[in-house]
Amino acid sequence: MKNKEIVDKNIVIPGDLLSDDPPKSGEGTYVEDGKIYSLIYGIFDDKDKIRVIPLSGKYIPSIGDVVIGLIVDISFSNWKVDISAPYEALMHISEYPRRIDSSEMSKIMRVGDLAIFKVVDVDSSMKIELALKNDQLKVLRTGRIIEVSYSKVPRVIGRAGSMINLLKSTLNINIFVGKNGRIWIDGKESDEDLAVRAIKKIEQEAHTSGLTDRMTKFLEEEKHGIHK
Amino acid sequence: MNDVIAEIRKDYIYNLAKRRERVDGRTFDEYRPISVQTGLIDKAEGSARVKIGNTQVMVGVKIQPGDPFPDAPDMGVIITNVELVPLASPSFEPGPPDENAIELARVVDRGVRESGAIDLSTLNLPDGKVWLVFIDVHVLDHDGNLMDAAAIGALAALINAKTPSEKYGYGENESLPIKEHPIAVTAVDIDGEIMLDPSLDEETIASTRLTVISGSQGALSGMQKSGTGTLSSEEICRIVNLATSKAKQIREQFFGDVLRG
Amino acid sequence: MEFISNGRRIDNRLPEELRPIKFEVGVLERADGSCYVEHGGNKVIAAVYGPRGVHPRHLQEASRAIIRYRYNMASFSVEERRRPGPDRRSVEISKVSREAIDPLIMKEFYPRSTVDIFVEILQADAGTRTAGINAASVALIDAGVPMKGLISACAVGKVDDTVVLDLIKEEDNYGQADMPVAMDVRTGQITLLQMDGHLTIDEFERALELAKRGCALVAEMQREALIQKYQGEEYE
Repeated sequence: MKNKEIVDKNIVIPGDLLSDDPPKSGEGTYVEDGKIYSLIYGIFDDKDKIRVIPLSGKYIPSIGDVVIGLIVDISFSNWKVDISAPYEALMHISEYPRRIDSSEMSKIMRVGDLAIFKVVDVDSSMKIELALKNDQLKVLRTGRIIEVSYSKVPRVIGRAGSMINLLKSTLNINIFVGKNGRIWIDGKESDEDLAVRAIKKIEQEAHTSGLTDRMTKFLEEEKHGIHK
Repeated sequence: MNDVIAEIRKDYIYNLAKRRERVDGRTFDEYRPISVQTGLIDKAEGSARVKIGNTQVMVGVKIQPGDPFPDAPDMGVIITNVELVPLASPSFEPGPPDENAIELARVVDRGVRESGAIDLSTLNLPDGKVWLVFIDVHVLDHDGNLMDAAAIGALAALINAKTPSEKYGYGENESLPIKEHPIAVTAVDIDGEIMLDPSLDEETIASTRLTVISGSQGALSGMQKSGTGTLSSEEICRIVNLATSKAKQIREQFFGDVLRG
Repeated sequence: MEFISNGRRIDNRLPEELRPIKFEVGVLERADGSCYVEHGGNKVIAAVYGPRGVHPRHLQEASRAIIRYRYNMASFSVEERRRPGPDRRSVEISKVSREAIDPLIMKEFYPRSTVDIFVEILQADAGTRTAGINAASVALIDAGVPMKGLISACAVGKVDDTVVLDLIKEEDNYGQADMPVAMDVRTGQITLLQMDGHLTIDEFERALELAKRGCALVAEMQREALIQKYQGEEYE
């Protein structure tokens, strides 16, 4: 028997009138003629400021974001990194904690490698500079990578980490969620498979309420299925 | 940036392949769900939309009277074209057909022509003109294996088609005389393992692709090896056998009624 | 040819009536946003990729995104099979359609990038450019591109000296005027206006009013389709 979960969140589209109190305008909105309108396709939220939480869209990096990047090219002094944004990011050779020669770059990180990076600068023309998080090289050599829309990342993590902790505890896996929507999972294959299915389910249902409870139930049922 | 695949993703696919498994859980000879819908475009004389998994193509058949080739005055003409329109993939660019679009079109065309699916000599018209049969494949969503989708679509659209005889004063509209049902089956080689109906990732990683087009008697009417890898003759024979038996299944499933009809 | 008799048009519609329209959002896997529209006999699919990097690089703009729009008709979309590729008409339509949507896109959010809009006409039945713009507008929103609002479009014209909404093929080919219009319904700002034929100023004003009403109806349908994408679901 299906339980119909009501989507009690208000979906809005660009141009929808949200409020006539301009000072409360937050992200995903704009002000015109003393009124606040939605700028994007998303979920209306007026808990604090008036904002619209995106349902889709491209990841735009901010300074401080920690992301999973894919090395796509190596130039004389930069690793060129795809961070799932409309822009290519660069990590300069000097960001590596040890002094190295240009010719050593591909031994450290080569094309096709995935690694964890920190965004250290984004300028007005969207030139993106990366560094290693905590000056530590973390190339992901084992496990699996999956990509979700960056807009769903907060749901995968959950309030105060509730969702990601649920995944970690129910399945015995290592999991790292990049701000850019790339997620790394490492564990036993059957646990990895279930984690991938769970994350896809979260992505599909991110806009609904009661998701944490449904995910708890889903993981319980599936986990028992595995051990039958 | 779309062209680099993460090493761990490649490793994952290779490791699964070694255990005779695939990312989406299919077996090596299993196709993703196929759907065929015909007659969606009224303006076309025949049409079909084919989906294989998320891959989607729309095929339109337009039939018009025209001049035959001078060296074949009483034979109809088939012209096949494939448009890899940019909306179907981030890697498709606007412009005239590139080598991939041309290869797809020529292989689909070969399948239709060499199998004798349409007897061109029945397409001549009383006044010295012949029917020109245009098969136009419009790719809408590229998630791997455009070849098989295009070939199935071409066949379905041809079966769906009716000559516009009434419009031109040649009598009654008629179905095209389809004598054969060529089905294309594409296999890829990933690190020595052969699998059918490659997904987008499998296609990107594989070094070699082989398409085999066979007819209802199991005879081959077209083959095309694609990619920079190599195949042994033993592998090729294995693929041919796999492909002909899979083609039989697909033919039964989607064109069975037509065959029996 | 008589276009209107007993107040009804040749397809039995009233002068101010739209043909049936259907919108489906998010129909493609690879595109960032997509929308399929059926409008009368028109079958149109729009897809958006972007914002994404611009190649060749020299086309990019330092402080904002560029917008590219490509309107294309499938060979089988029309009565006489059409040679593939852009013709002069497609190039013009691509330009005015792009200019119809561009003003509402927040390009400043994405310097050095492009938002690519692709519209494929799978079946044509008069009014393909307005159907394309309607589909493109929804596809952009589906892709998460920030915009000031929806763009809604429709065509008005004149047949038998009567101003009519949403021309059917015969009215388009043999009527007295054809005027496609696109606008941001919320603000009333017009972003596309073309006219071909003969209209007195009074007829033009009436036609424009009728177009605004038509666009408002289209906007409701576009909005509904977008909301339904997320609210028509059951989860267990």
